[in-house]
Order: sequence, then structure tokens, then C-alpha cells
Amino acid sequence: MKNMVSIVSVLIASNLVAAERIDYESQVKPLLAQKCFACHGALKQESGLRLDAASLLHKGGDSGTLFEAGDSETSLLIQRVSAPEVDERMPPEGEGSPLNESQLAMLRAWIDQGAIAPDEAVPANPRQHWAYQPPIKPTIPTLQNPRWGRNAIDQFIGAHHDARGLTPAHEARPEILLRRVYLDLVGLSPTRAQLRDYLEDASPHKYERLVERLLSAPQYGERWARHWMDVWRYSDHTGFDLDGTVLGSQRHIWRWRDWIVDALNEDQGYDRMILEMLAADELSAGDEHALVASGFLVRNYYKHDRNRWLDDVIDHTSRAFMSVTMGCAKCHDHKYDPISMHEYYRMRAIFEPYNVRVDRIPGELDVNRNGLTRIYDADLAAPTWLFVRGNPKAADMSIRLGPAVPAVFGGALDIKSSAVGLASYYPALRSFVTNALLEKARRAVEGARANLDSERKKQEERKLTVDERSLEYKMSRESVELAELKLKAATTEQTALQARLAAERAKHEAGKVDEQLIKKAVDAERRARLADGHEKLLESIVQLGTLRLKVSRKTRDYTEQDSKQALRAAEKRLDAAKKEFTAALEMPLSGAPEYEPLGTIYPRQTSGRRLAFARWIVDRQNPLTARVAVNHIWLRHFGRALVDSVDDFGLRCERPRMAELLDFLATELLDNQFSMKHIHRLIVTSTVYRMASHATPHTSESKRLDVDNDFYWRGNVRRCEAETVRDTLLYLAGDLDLQAGGPDIDSQQGQEIPRRSLYFRHAENKQMSLLELFDAANPNECYRREESIRPQQALALVNSALAMKQSRRLARRLSKTASDRHGFIEAAFETILCRAPSSVERTACQDFLTAQLEQVSQVDGLTLVGDDVEAIPPSTDPAIRARENMVLVLINHNDFVTIR
Amino acid sequence: MKHIAPYCPTRRAFLSDVGMGFTGLALGSMLAADPLSGEALAKTASRIAPKAKSVIWLFMVGGVSHMEGFDPKPALNKYAGKSLAETPVKDPFESPFVKKNFRPAGDVNQLRSFRQVILPMQIGYRNRGESGIEVSDWWPHVGECIDDIAVVRSMWTSDNNHTAQLQFHTGRHFSDGAFPTIGSWVHYGLGRLNDNLPQFIALGTPIKSSFGPQVHSANYLGRAHDGVHVDEKEPLPFGSPAGRISKQEQRLNAEMISRLNRLTAAEYPEDSALQARIKSYELAFRMQTSIPDIFDLRDETAKTLEAYGDGFGRQLLAARRFVQKGVRFVQVYHGTDDLDGAGGWDAHFFLKENHTKNCLAADKPIATLLKDLKQRGMLDETLVVWASEFGRTPGTEESNGRDHHPFGFSIWMAGGGIQGGITHGTTDELGMLADEDPHYVTDIHATILTQLGVDLHTMEVPGRKRLDFEFGRPIQEIIA
Repeated sequence: MKNMVSIVSVLIASNLVAAERIDYESQVKPLLAQKCFACHGALKQESGLRLDAASLLHKGGDSGTLFEAGDSETSLLIQRVSAPEVDERMPPEGEGSPLNESQLAMLRAWIDQGAIAPDEAVPANPRQHWAYQPPIKPTIPTLQNPRWGRNAIDQFIGAHHDARGLTPAHEARPEILLRRVYLDLVGLSPTRAQLRDYLEDASPHKYERLVERLLSAPQYGERWARHWMDVWRYSDHTGFDLDGTVLGSQRHIWRWRDWIVDALNEDQGYDRMILEMLAADELSAGDEHALVASGFLVRNYYKHDRNRWLDDVIDHTSRAFMSVTMGCAKCHDHKYDPISMHEYYRMRAIFEPYNVRVDRIPGELDVNRNGLTRIYDADLAAPTWLFVRGNPKAADMSIRLGPAVPAVFGGALDIKSSAVGLASYYPALRSFVTNALLEKARRAVEGARANLDSERKKQEERKLTVDERSLEYKMSRESVELAELKLKAATTEQTALQARLAAERAKHEAGKVDEQLIKKAVDAERRARLADGHEKLLESIVQLGTLRLKVSRKTRDYTEQDSKQALRAAEKRLDAAKKEFTAALEMPLSGAPEYEPLGTIYPRQTSGRRLAFARWIVDRQNPLTARVAVNHIWLRHFGRALVDSVDDFGLRCERPRMAELLDFLATELLDNQFSMKHIHRLIVTSTVYRMASHATPHTSESKRLDVDNDFYWRGNVRRCEAETVRDTLLYLAGDLDLQAGGPDIDSQQGQEIPRRSLYFRHAENKQMSLLELFDAANPNECYRREESIRPQQALALVNSALAMKQSRRLARRLSKTASDRHGFIEAAFETILCRAPSSVERTACQDFLTAQLEQVSQVDGLTLVGDDVEAIPPSTDPAIRARENMVLVLINHNDFVTIR
Repeated sequence: MKHIAPYCPTRRAFLSDVGMGFTGLALGSMLAADPLSGEALAKTASRIAPKAKSVIWLFMVGGVSHMEGFDPKPALNKYAGKSLAETPVKDPFESPFVKKNFRPAGDVNQLRSFRQVILPMQIGYRNRGESGIEVSDWWPHVGECIDDIAVVRSMWTSDNNHTAQLQFHTGRHFSDGAFPTIGSWVHYGLGRLNDNLPQFIALGTPIKSSFGPQVHSANYLGRAHDGVHVDEKEPLPFGSPAGRISKQEQRLNAEMISRLNRLTAAEYPEDSALQARIKSYELAFRMQTSIPDIFDLRDETAKTLEAYGDGFGRQLLAARRFVQKGVRFVQVYHGTDDLDGAGGWDAHFFLKENHTKNCLAADKPIATLLKDLKQRGMLDETLVVWASEFGRTPGTEESNGRDHHPFGFSIWMAGGGIQGGITHGTTDELGMLADEDPHYVTDIHATILTQLGVDLHTMEVPGRKRLDFEFGRPIQEIIA
């Protein structure tokens, strides 16, 4: 039925087009776009032909004109698209399906009708897109008022002020600026003493000196690590499958978090950071600190679906470093940007060989407990296919795609495969591992010997109390026998380990195949397996026997159900042990010269693909990398980015108003060894950064001209990020534990453990609820944070254990030095809001304290609510208790969570 | 005490209070920037005449057997013990429908282990209500309400694992990621009916398997549209003080917070975030009363309390009370288990025991909810949806259970302008494949939004291209 309909409609269509007027815009152009533009468009002009504008169609290409209007019979265009020979026909085979009858009829009719088309502009070459040109340092403009501004940032923005008649705001009051720069650079507000010192300091460069101090504080790295962790999708592991394997991200990935903190504190170049994050295994295989950086790729691990894993790698690597939305080219050519589906899969080929593993670290053999999670090239021969419509089930196996980067960005990959050292491809042979293995085997022998001694002793004792014919006595004899077998198993295991180690050392370290050693190792291993099998067999026999005895005597601790299950399990174990032992027995005595290596032996080569890719990203000619980075930094200083779509600099992203400033900052980054601190310094010491964030009468005209503050004539008011709210709450009362680094802390413990927020577990469904309320990053994707205002935030700051505890502790702490009420109010304002109260506020607070004091003095009149089991009960001194409420009010002040 | 201006927490008075004396304060822009305002929330949805105001969404976690609930299959008894190859179905994986739509989670081996031997029906059916629709003896109380219910017997989904729970709420296969859930679309698309309560509530234990709370999250719509999970044991997180304090102190504190913030607002009249924060404190303080009020059941009769019963019944009663107060979407989970998170209805073994137990817990409370809503005249405006992530296989697993089954299963809807006493769509003779009028899960979403008066295709977010199947199509045949 369906087929009939379509045949009929084709017939109707081909008849109709002859009569009906064909519309270029809605009929001809979409067809050409679908079939021809890829090779005859703005980006590529095969045979000098372009078809993406009517004027170009009329013009034709190297082979001449395509048609005479009104005559489809002689049209070259029609000839080529309807050619019966495959070699002649357009689109070429593999590039698209041939035109069908109705499409051909429509095209003929359009030409016959005179090839009528409206005037349209020839589209620009997408290569000319502003963001695809390497940034060049722009000329720094001079200002009408040469006294305004301090550095080039001010000159770029000041030029916009001049051009638009905008009057910039004055500098923010010192206490506001002080709080702003503290929160921005270290994520903690200044203490009262720091505030006082700053206000009293009369030296001319006190602000610049402060900036230097903050940039060298270890808390700078923690603050900015959290920002980059958003962009780089930091996630702790997302949980375990039923078999105990990790579902998403990986264990021990906190090491990468600490690496980010350290790299920022050391001001490691951003280029170096990218190289290490993408290719530390190729760049510096032996450098364990650098290997940790590969957490960036480890993080994408996704147990259930390798395709989703690699899709995430492609999507987020290109978005994080270059703000290119490669993900859109997975199922079809990119709709907006000049990126083909082939190029998507060619980028996939860069990552195809890589996988994730956990290497041991000194002091721990069990990699589940501790270890170094890292990437490596696991399969250098892994093929990459194009998935038709993005469907992995529809892989196009006709072309094997090699690694490459999208052509539009220029440059190419310089791929050199390289060898990795023994420690990298055979990490189990590193001496700290082999020593630990030998030590473990030695201790097993020792333990087994002690066990045998004790069993023998027990048996001696039993001889005195138990009849030698009894079941108990027989069983204790079996225990001794079992202990003997255990010792034998441990000893042979130790011998086998030593033999295997000797053989492996000879093979890998000395590079010689020593038949003697190999034979010894094979032999020893076989003995070990036999001894082990023997021991397991007897053990399961003993277990089953003991159990049967218990069941038959109906010992109380077994219900019927339990005993059945336990018996079945014991029988199963026995069966397994039998099988294993039989297998060990049947192993040929001098068969294949094989023994178990000491651990996994990984490939000795890396593909070189990721390193080449990373080098391409940080190449000075890469138009995007530096721009994208400085845009992210700018966003986090101003609450607004120079390019709004921070993760998409594609064709839909217009050249920003402040393009010159963006390019200036990008070239500053490039010219200063990719130093992020250099960019921070430039920004926070600029006049623009220091401006007040509110309008005053002298800027009323600016407000009229630029109500949205598009041209930065004033500062922006921002809300603190979640981590800043929590950390500062702890910090105010002197309770924040500034210990850096270490394994992720249980996210449920956020109100009890006073560490900085970035050290708590952060993964899908495993986030601190307090942080989530304040728009903490979604661990799967967060290129910028939200700044929501929700009632639950209010409840958290009024009622949470953290808020109540910290306000009570802070009130008491402040009361130690501020005995009088006036002094307390000053101290509370300066500590919490970093400013003195206004006279109205001071009066309001006096009144409040009076009213609360009056209230809490009459304890009998109070209706108590809330939890009784708490760390910090309200003070028994009514005056202090009133002050505790004052502090709680102030941490709920709008300006506590606000950066002005 | 006197010197502090009394803080007046009614919305109207509050707004005029804030507006007063601030020349140049644009109240309109304040509302627009205010995430609490219903007017601002109705961002993109254009409206059509609504038939329902609220939705109660009952989700049975783990996969309820459709063949032993609302879709009788006598052929199961006929072929009991025979292999699939001996039945008319033969190999479901040869069906073009399955080939086209099935996206197994993880391992293709799932296909090979497909249950081959037919398990007979584990419970009897009888005709119920005036419509005479057959409902199994595990659902006798819901059976009494069948004349208010439209059963859809031809549902399908594409995932065969419990990750289909997420899919049932978002319309997207889990491996595509987490997308906005139906409750969050309702929240996003419609204005609020009550200023004192959040408009999207989740009750019961949230699903514990892979996606957990994302099953009631807004994902890319933004956290403001997330379902607020209310645990009846602790209905509002941070809703009560974690330490000892008196009500009197709390009241003065609230007044003082407002007072200081208003003083700052006078200094920065253009700071719209500050205005919004003042208002959010106001709603927060109200929620401290309004949420506990929902769970204060003293105004319910003993008869009502008894009919609903404890546990799940209490959650359904809370759902009715939320809807009474104007909450738009209440999502209630039944059967979340503590073990591996698959869900309590996941009857791989001992299906009879499992479903007997679960139905005993769920059947009567659900029927009570329907009757209660009807008796109060609320059923016309309240759309009740009963669903599960998939059905169960006609073939048996370990002789007495059934495996996951995404190719054909049942859901039902009642109230909110849905016809009662009808069935729609069919599965084949064995309950294997959705046959007549198959419906993907988003058709349920589309039906809900249509009944709430939302024009489906206006539910787009700039920069987020929704696929055609994500919108679904309303099931016109069951709409009254």
C-alpha cells in the first residue's frame, strides 16, 4: 500500500512540476544544499564551481556555464546529475544518493521556466569566521582622558566608553573592593584584621601588593581549581556495578583534582597543563605526578558503553579547550559549523586506542584501596569506523578512518608513535611492587607456619580432654593436616613468585630468554597450583563436614532455611575445589613453557595521536585555545563573559563587542608562557575591575545609554558560588580546616567536617545537598554556573546545623573581644559583611539586640523548637544568646551571599 | 519590640511594601527576574483550554506484569510449558517492530537469554464495573473504579533494563543522558496555583538504581524546575532548625533579615536579585508552615485515614492534600527497594508471591485515592496516571517468575478529562508485542500536557533541539 502511494505521488509530482512554477528558495536551493554544497560551497569549490548562491549558479565553473535559462535540454547541470554512468554522475558515489525522478523533473522545470531566482548575497567563506583566525595583538587605543585607566584592559574598554559617551563609575569603596578581590582570588572573605590593616595602610600600592599576596596563597589554587573542575567535568566515581567494578569516572581521581590545584598554584603554563591532561603517558611516561593529569580523560570512563565514553571525550575535549561543538557532527555533518561527520570520527580515531588503568603506588598493593588512575594506549590497532546516523550498529566498514583534526581550524597532526619504558608497560616489575609482593609472600609463609604451630598445640591439648576415637578428635586432626597443606601452599607460592620474578627480570630487564629460569618458573608455578588446589580441596571438605555436623546436631544458630543454603554453598565450593584440583593435576608436567607474568603487560608503544592532538591545541596558530581560556577567566571575574556562549565559538557566535580586548588577552596569555596568573593580575589590577557596581548620579547618563552594562561602565553584582558560601561560613568563625588535598570526603559529612568544599565527593547523585541548593556544578557538564535564588537556600542558611553552629560560635568568638554592644555590632558587620554598619543599621541592630535580650531573658515564655541533640546549644547567657541571633541574621543578609 | 516595623508576610502587602518609596524601581522587571513568580515561569508554553489542573503520577518501580493486571491473556494458559517457537509469536526478535525499536542496555546477550517457556497466568480475572473490563484479582479495589479508568494496553519502550525508569519520565533512552522529566515540563510550562508551595513534588522513596533523583529532575530546564522531594518523615530539608531555638527568636530573626535587606535595597534600588531574595525568604518562611500543614492530618476523618492506610496510603493522602492546595504535579514512587535498586515489582522469581504482596500494599490505597478524589469533586480536574517502566515476559524465568518486557505493556489513566471504562490498544495473543495502536512513553506525556492545556510544540528551550518522538502525540481515543 505504502509503495503504491509513493509511486503515485512521484507520477503526480513529475507531471505537476512541468506546469507549476518552481520556487528557487523553497525547492531548488534546499536540494542543491543537500546534494552539492559539501563540495561546491563556501568551504570547498571542486572544479572551480560554487552553487550556494543564485549568481554563482548562473556563472558556472571550470567546465563552463551550467545552463542557458529556459533550456534544460542542453544543460550541463542536468547532464551531470542525471548521467547514467556512475563515473559521470553527480553527486559522486559515496558522497550522496543520485537525484530521483521528481527532483530531476523539478530542476529541469526550474531551468525551463527561466531559472528565476532572487538576488542573494554570496555567503562568506566560513574559514573567515572571526574565531577561526589566529589572534593577533591589536593596537592599544588611546583615550580621550589619558588619566583614566591603569592598563590596556582599561584602554580597550575606555575606547568604547569614549565612542558611546559613557561615563565610568568611580572606584568601589575600599572595603567592597577588598571583599571582591578576596572572594574572586581565594574564595574566602577577608578577616576583620585584614580589613583593618588594609584600610589603615596608606601606601600607594597596597592593592597591587595585596593582589600579589593573594595570587601566591595556596587558597588561590583551590579557588580556581574548582572553576576549572567545572569546565573539565571533574567527577568522583559514580558508583559500583553489582560485580564491584566502577560505573563511571574512576577511583582515586581526587589525585587529578589535587594536580589541578598544584598546577594552578605553581602557575604551570596552560599549554603544559593541556599537554599533560591529554597525553601525559606519551609526554612524560615516568613522571607520576604528570600522569595524574590524565584524570581529564580518565573521568570519561563509562562502563556500560564505550561509544558514549568516546562521544563524551570528543564533545567535551573540543568544547572545554576550543569551544567547538564537535558533538553536533556525530550523526550528520554539523548543521552550522564547517565540520563534517567524517571529521567527527577522525577525531574519535585520536582517542580510539586509549583506555584507563590503575597502577599501584608505593605502600599499597590493592589498587581498589589506593592507586594511580591513568590513561594509556591499550589497542594501537583499534579501527575507527563512521557510524551511519551516529548509530554504532550501522558502522560503515568500507573506510577505516585515521586520526585528523577538522580542516577549518588549519594545521595538522604530526603523529609519531613512541616507545614507553619498562616501568610503564610492565608496572608490576617496578621494584617497589616486586618487593611488596615478595614481602607479602614471605608474610603468608610466616602466618601459615604460626597457624600450623597453633593447630598442633591445640591438638596436643585435645588429646588430654577428648577421646581419640571421637568425631571431634578426627576433625582436629584434619585441622592440623589442613594447616600443613596451607604452609605448603604458601611456601610453594613464595618459591613460584621468586622463580617467576627471576625469569621475568631476565627477560625484560636483561633482555634475554633464559630457558633454565623459565623452566624453573613453570615448574614452581605448577607446584604452587597443585599445593593450592590440594589445600582448597581439603578446606572445603572440612567446612562441609563441620557444617553437616552442626546441622545434624541442630545447633541453635542455624534455622532450617539457613542450613540448607549454607550446605548448598559448601557443596558448591567443594565442587569448584575438586575441579580446580583436577585441572592442576592434569596440567602437563613439561608442557608449554608458560607461567603467569607478575601483572598485566601493556603495549610497549603509544600511538602518538593524543600528544600530536594536544600539541595542535596549544599551537600558537590554533585560533581558539587562548581565546576560550581567557574568556572563561574573564567570566569568573566579572560574572559575565566577553563571548556569551562560552562553550560555542562556532559560526552562530557573532564577533563579540569586545573582540579586540579578547584578542589582546589571548595574545597576552600566548606571550607570557600561558601564565594564568598573568591574566588574573592584568584583570584585577585594572580600573575596570575596581569600579563600583551600582549607578550613582554621575553615571545616570551611562545608565540611560547602556542599561545592561554591555560596555562595562560599572561593575556587576554577582552571587557567590556554593563553595564560597559554605567555606566562608566556616572561615568566619575561624573553623575552616585549611588542610589541602587528599581523598574525597563523604558528601554527607559536609556540615560536620570543616574542610574546603572542593574536597568533598562530587559525582552524579553524590553531592552535598547544601552545595546543590546553591547551584553547585552538575558533574557531567557545567561550562558556567547558574545563580538561582530559591527559598530552600533561605531555609539552609537559617536552619542548617552548619549555619546555626557557625553563627553561635562566631557570636561567642566576637564577644570575647567586643564586650559592649556597639563594639559587637561593628565587629559582626565587619567580619560577616566586610563593612561597617550604617547608622540606620546600627540603630536597627541595637533595637534588635534589645528585643531579643528581653525575649530570651524570660526563658519560661519561649516556645522551643528544633533538635535537642546538637553540637552547640544556645548560650545560657541571654546577652550572648541575643548576639547569636544577630550573627544568624547577618549570615542571612543578602550581601553575605553577594559580591558587590 | 515596638520599634521594629511589623513584618507582614502576605504577598500583596509585601509587594507594595517593597515597592513603596523606591522611585524608579521597576516592579515588572523584578517579577520577570523572579524565579518564584508563576507569570515568569510560563516562559514559552502557549495555552489551550485546560481540562485538568493537576497530575498525580503513580510509578510502580521494577516492572509490573501487564498480563496479570489489566491485559488478560488466556493463551498463556493454552501454551503453558511450551516454547515460544511453538506459539504464534515464534521469535519476537524477528519482528520488524522489535528490530526497529529495541535498544538493549549493555549486553546483546540479553537477547539470547530471552525467556523461551510460556508461564501460565498466575492469577484469575473477572469483569468489573458497568463497562465489564477485565481486571485481575490482584487489583480488586482498583477494579471497582474501572468505570473511571482508561487502560492503555499497547505501551512500549526501547530499553529492557531498569534504566527504562528514567526513560519513562524523560522519553529518552538512558544512554542519551538525562533529560527533563515530565513533571519538570509541567512545572516549566504552567504558572503556579499556590504561592506557598513548590509546584512539583515527589513522594515515596526516590528510585535507587542508576539515575536516582534524576527521575524527578529538570536537568537542562534548570534546577528551579526540579521536583522537590518530600520525605514524609522529614518533609522539608532544612525546614526546621537543626539546633534548639525558640519560635519567638525565629520570628524576630525573620523580621530582622527582612528589615536589613530592605535597608540595603534602598541603597541599591536596581539590584533585582536582592528583591528576589527578599521574596524567596518570604516563601521559605511560608513553606515552613505550609509543608508541615500538608502532613498534619488532624482534619481528616478516621474513616479516610483508615481507607488510605499507612505507608504508601499516607503518601497518596499527602498527594491528594498537595493537589488540593494547588500543586501541579505530584509524583509518587511505589516499590523502591533498598537492595539493588531494581525495584520491588521486579519479579524474576516467585512472581505470584511478589505481586500478591505488592498489590496488597498498592491496590486499596490507589482505589481509595480515586474514590476520594471523585467524592470530593476533584477527579475532574486531577489526572491520575498509573505506570511502570515496562511489563513482564510471557515466558518464564526459573519456572515461577517473569523477566523484563519492554515490547508491550499496560498503563492506565483516570480523571482530568480522560474517558472512563474503556481500554485502548492491544498486545498480541501472548501479550508479547504491542499490536493495535502502539504508544511510546512520550504519548502519555503528550496526553498529560494536552489535558493541562499546554500546546506541546511550544515546549522548546532555545539551544535544545528536541527530537520528534520526545514530544509524543496525545492519545486522542481516550480523551473525553
